[in-house]
Amino acid sequence: MIFDDLRAIQLRHGFLPKAELEGLSQRTQTPLYQLHSVASFYPHFHLVPPAKAEIRVCADMSCRLNGACELRADVERRFADARPEDVQIRDVSCLGRCDHAPAVSINDAIFTDVSGEHAEEIARRAIRGEDIHEPHPEQARVECKADPYGDGAAQNERYDVVRKLAQSRAFENVIAQLKAAELRGMGGAGFPTSMKWDLVRKEADPVKYIVCNADESEPGTIKDRFIMTHLPHLLIEGMILAGMVTGAKRGILYIRHEYHLQEEILGEEIRRCYRAGLLGKSILGTPLAFDLEVFVSPGGYICGEESALLEAIEGHRAEPRNKPPFPVQAGLWQKPTVINNVETFINVPQILARGVDWFAAQGAGVSRGLKFVGVSGHVARPGIFEVAMGTPMREVIFKHAGGIRGGRELKAFAPSGPSSGYLPASMVDVRLDFKALAEAGSMLGSGAIVVCDDSTCMLDMALAAVRFYRNESCGKCVPCRVGSQKMTDMLVRWTQGGLPESQYLADLALLEELSQAMSLTSICGLGQIVPAPIQSVLKHFRAEIDAHVLKGQCPSGICFTPAARAGEAQRVGIRP
Amino acid sequence: MTTAATPPGMVDITLDGNVVRVPAGVSVFDAARMNGVNIPTLCHLQNQTPVGVCRLCVVDTGARVLTASCVRTVEPGMKVVTNSEKVLNARKTLLELMMSDHPSPCVRQQNSGDCELEMHARAAGASQARFAKRTVARGKDDSSLAIAVDHDACILCDRCIRGCDEVKSNFVLGRMGKGYSAGIAFDLNSPMGDSTCISCGECMVSCPTGALTNKSVVGTAIAAGPDAQGFEAEDLLQIPVFKGVSGTFLELNRGAIVKRRFRKGDLMCREGEFGSTAFYILEGKAKVSISTPIAHVKTQGGAKGFFKRLTSTLVAREEDKREGETRDRTIPIDASVDLSYGNPVAELGPGDLFGEMTCMNFYPRSATVVAESDVVAFEMLRNVLDIMLKNKTFRAQLDQTYRRRALENHLRGVPMFADLSADFIEHLKESVELQRFAPGQTIALQGEPADCFYLVRIGFVKISENYPGGEMVLAYLSRGDYFGEIGLLGGGIRTATCTALDHVEVVRISGDDFRDMVARFPSVRTGLETVASERRAANQQRMQMVHNVSIDQFLSQGLMEAQSLLILDLQNCTRCDACVNACADAHDGVTRLVRDGLRFDQYLVATSCRQCRDPLCMVGCPVGSIRRRNSLEVIIEDWCIGCGLCAQNCPYGNINLHPFEVMVDDPERAGRKKAAIKQKATSCDLCTHLKEPSCVYACPHDAAHRVDPRTFFAEMLGQGSTK
Repeated sequence: MIFDDLRAIQLRHGFLPKAELEGLSQRTQTPLYQLHSVASFYPHFHLVPPAKAEIRVCADMSCRLNGACELRADVERRFADARPEDVQIRDVSCLGRCDHAPAVSINDAIFTDVSGEHAEEIARRAIRGEDIHEPHPEQARVECKADPYGDGAAQNERYDVVRKLAQSRAFENVIAQLKAAELRGMGGAGFPTSMKWDLVRKEADPVKYIVCNADESEPGTIKDRFIMTHLPHLLIEGMILAGMVTGAKRGILYIRHEYHLQEEILGEEIRRCYRAGLLGKSILGTPLAFDLEVFVSPGGYICGEESALLEAIEGHRAEPRNKPPFPVQAGLWQKPTVINNVETFINVPQILARGVDWFAAQGAGVSRGLKFVGVSGHVARPGIFEVAMGTPMREVIFKHAGGIRGGRELKAFAPSGPSSGYLPASMVDVRLDFKALAEAGSMLGSGAIVVCDDSTCMLDMALAAVRFYRNESCGKCVPCRVGSQKMTDMLVRWTQGGLPESQYLADLALLEELSQAMSLTSICGLGQIVPAPIQSVLKHFRAEIDAHVLKGQCPSGICFTPAARAGEAQRVGIRP
Repeated sequence: MTTAATPPGMVDITLDGNVVRVPAGVSVFDAARMNGVNIPTLCHLQNQTPVGVCRLCVVDTGARVLTASCVRTVEPGMKVVTNSEKVLNARKTLLELMMSDHPSPCVRQQNSGDCELEMHARAAGASQARFAKRTVARGKDDSSLAIAVDHDACILCDRCIRGCDEVKSNFVLGRMGKGYSAGIAFDLNSPMGDSTCISCGECMVSCPTGALTNKSVVGTAIAAGPDAQGFEAEDLLQIPVFKGVSGTFLELNRGAIVKRRFRKGDLMCREGEFGSTAFYILEGKAKVSISTPIAHVKTQGGAKGFFKRLTSTLVAREEDKREGETRDRTIPIDASVDLSYGNPVAELGPGDLFGEMTCMNFYPRSATVVAESDVVAFEMLRNVLDIMLKNKTFRAQLDQTYRRRALENHLRGVPMFADLSADFIEHLKESVELQRFAPGQTIALQGEPADCFYLVRIGFVKISENYPGGEMVLAYLSRGDYFGEIGLLGGGIRTATCTALDHVEVVRISGDDFRDMVARFPSVRTGLETVASERRAANQQRMQMVHNVSIDQFLSQGLMEAQSLLILDLQNCTRCDACVNACADAHDGVTRLVRDGLRFDQYLVATSCRQCRDPLCMVGCPVGSIRRRNSLEVIIEDWCIGCGLCAQNCPYGNINLHPFEVMVDDPERAGRKKAAIKQKATSCDLCTHLKEPSCVYACPHDAAHRVDPRTFFAEMLGQGSTK
């Protein structure tokens, strides 16, 4: 595999020297350009020797709301005199530690709740050549309603659904039950799971794949991290079930590379399953076979797009495919493929173990099932919570997450990261449900609830969101590649204020045209959703934007400060 | 909608309100085209796999979003709208986005007015982009001889990439980077001219904008001069060796190749001259020879003492035995034949290519070629030769000629292989592989398994060994040299890295053939083993030294590289110049020593050959006449043609050209001789004809010394002697 080869070279040299790539090209008969085009795509690979301390400050949503910009400025001051070969400081996209913001990655080890002093100390250790280790704060054992086996169950008490299905082979029945439960995909799109599995089951090709998308990278999304830490057995059971039902004999668990601890936990669980005969060429002595492996993502938000993820597994640049065909017909290596989110997979054994009625009863009101949500931003108790589907947002924010921190007022919330846009405090009674959120002009998405108090500048948040998409665009298609940059340029100009009204109106019209074109013509969801944050802010917080653009005022005092200008100047251009 | 009347293999769709019948499996784009609806596109070409990245061809099929028609297959009953306001507005915005970053008018628009982006933008009324312009330029790449790259005009349509991969199978071009900073790149993002690109021109003809354009080679045309005849691309394509070459490429490179007619006796090229073209003979015969006398430059000292002015003369090899000199019987030249030492003349005929090294690497001509009869030949510049060399037909023909005519000489030219039997040579002729390497490309990597043996056919190969913190050049090998035997005879692992310094061609003998050869011919084995162990020992000694000495200044002055230095102790030196005068006296009045140079401690390192460990002077010698003895002392072989490249290459100015008056064939009057001045390179010969260097002997103050820097400075460097 190309990534294994590249990683091996990087492990030896700290980066990818030209001569090594030429050697690899000759050995593997891979054109040089292919190696370069892949290596230059993924942030994981260095084509030039990296600094001794590569400091990456997350500046997305929750970290931004928790002082990431100030932290970065602080760290820059601390290393103002450092040599470039010693220290390099840059922004990084969401690291998936939103409940412990701000997060900083130093030489790929991730540190949470970081202060400037803390970051400096670690970086100095790195410069001295000492090893730095990522702390894995002991995660308290938690009882999850979702686990039918209960916390602390032994291995032989778990995987009961797999054991029974291996005997009964009532695969059609599984699909019927999922259909009756109305289980929908939990990664964001909400496609009916029973339909996806059924389509793959009916494909004649003898080679099929099950892929788990554990690459949650949407800012604010941390629920899968929690599930993989605490319920790894349910995830693996869900994948084995998918394999049995669809006839796929191989599964790949695609995990983001920032989840080192979860990678270990899952690896351990998979080995346990092989020892217990739950995985392998003969599941529990039956002719059923299923092999499962963990694939560590070489990085990037776009890898969470299902077809881009498949491209990454195949060793290509993670560029989304044109659809149709969809993965159910032509997925991994053009074979029929089920690709589901972590949370979708864990719902399957729940439904099969306890029945459709139990599942339906877990939801609030007309909603069904349980939902894991991550709540972060300006809340008193940021974290991951297991709530009933259909729970009002008010309850999630104020009861579970402890309400707004520091006695301030709720101003806005994003039901699911930047992609869901921002809803105003007045809509906090909206229920956590596919339909209810769609009606509110938002979406359930991946349950990444980010809460903003009344000190937040919504234009700043919208700009940060667009910039995130700009940085994470794969660049394959024109509307997303160019459009995300032009939209960033426009919003940057807005945050600088002083535009004549005629120009502002022209900008608004142009933004509308651009939003339309991006939503209608981008290949994948990333490009289509880029306009969502600014459009939601224009809809709900228009006065705030007008104040910026026309009066040069930021009601929250975020923009127009010298620090904001200095930081902006650095970030306006394209990424280095 | 598919009705009962729809025949099998056909599909009915609604296109802009009209029901049309199209073949099943075609794209919506093609279905529309078949029905006279032309959907605009930038990234789609009929001969390439559609990729759907420009999105300009989007149409409305009633779904939530628009769909790119080039990648969407028709489905029965599909309702396609290609021209609604929604569709047209989206396309216009896309064009405006691209135009905002486009250097309008781009080179293509300026040259031929047919930049596809600008044409579509004008048609859609999107020429004036309202979006902010790109702030950071992506740059230009002018390194290719044939193709100009303007990254700012690139819209990442991937047409060049598919042209390179799918159409030509060259696999040079790809996307690099991500998002807005993505771009196209050659190989590992090398400049196009340094990449493995063969200038086939496919990317250029695929490009819709001015990102990849034809560089005007007509400006550098060689078409000037009498008897030159340019051609039309169609004429060229009729000639077998151009079979398979892109017609567009030839069209764009008119002027980079001409057909020349030479009359009997005409000079085609002269040894020692710099050039940039290669010749391919179509008709007639030509004589290739070296006219510089092949002999030693000998400085003879008389019995009357050292201060008598000495004279240098040319002396035959037999009369002046030199230690370490090869007894090679052939002289490698830049053609498919080698010349014999005794009679350096050979004949070239139809199908022969010569001047390849000069053309590809810009080295001086290695020999003189004169038309023996009337000759018709192509003369071409590098971009044409390059593409011809990549042409399988032409390549096969050249390889065949080489195998037939030169390989045996080449093998036999290596003294060690003199004993190979005729049948084994015949076997090798067919089984060896001829390989080409681009400048900088690694041929073998230290530490990798050794599986073959190489003979250098064209170009220079750098042999180097890595040590922690650096690289040590062990040797530069050129035509007639071989490498790879240490790995094969030893532990099966490459002990050094071999890199192509320029355009290199090697003869690759497989590990099996090699083992077969050493098993069958014990003398070859013994010879190779001796050389291998000598090379190993020399390398070890050198590496040893690298480890022992590490004084920054010593290194930075290049003294580390030197084996022998002429140093003047400035505490004793009175600047009397007796050393310089003595040198001049010893060498026909031309001093090979300048009393100037770098200072190290109290010593002046005088400008005189240092016998460098990385002898840059040897790189590029067109006839391979500068080399060194096993002791690493630099030696200039008899067949030096006086081109002066080594003198240019020496960073220390320590090689001089020495003129001689000789009688040569008069080109104007056949059969007559005339006097001419020929040059030969000379460097400090350590006055080997004397007991000690005359400069050292002449110094009245005991200030001049010839020393091995490592030994001499060992104490100063705080090390014991390394010997």
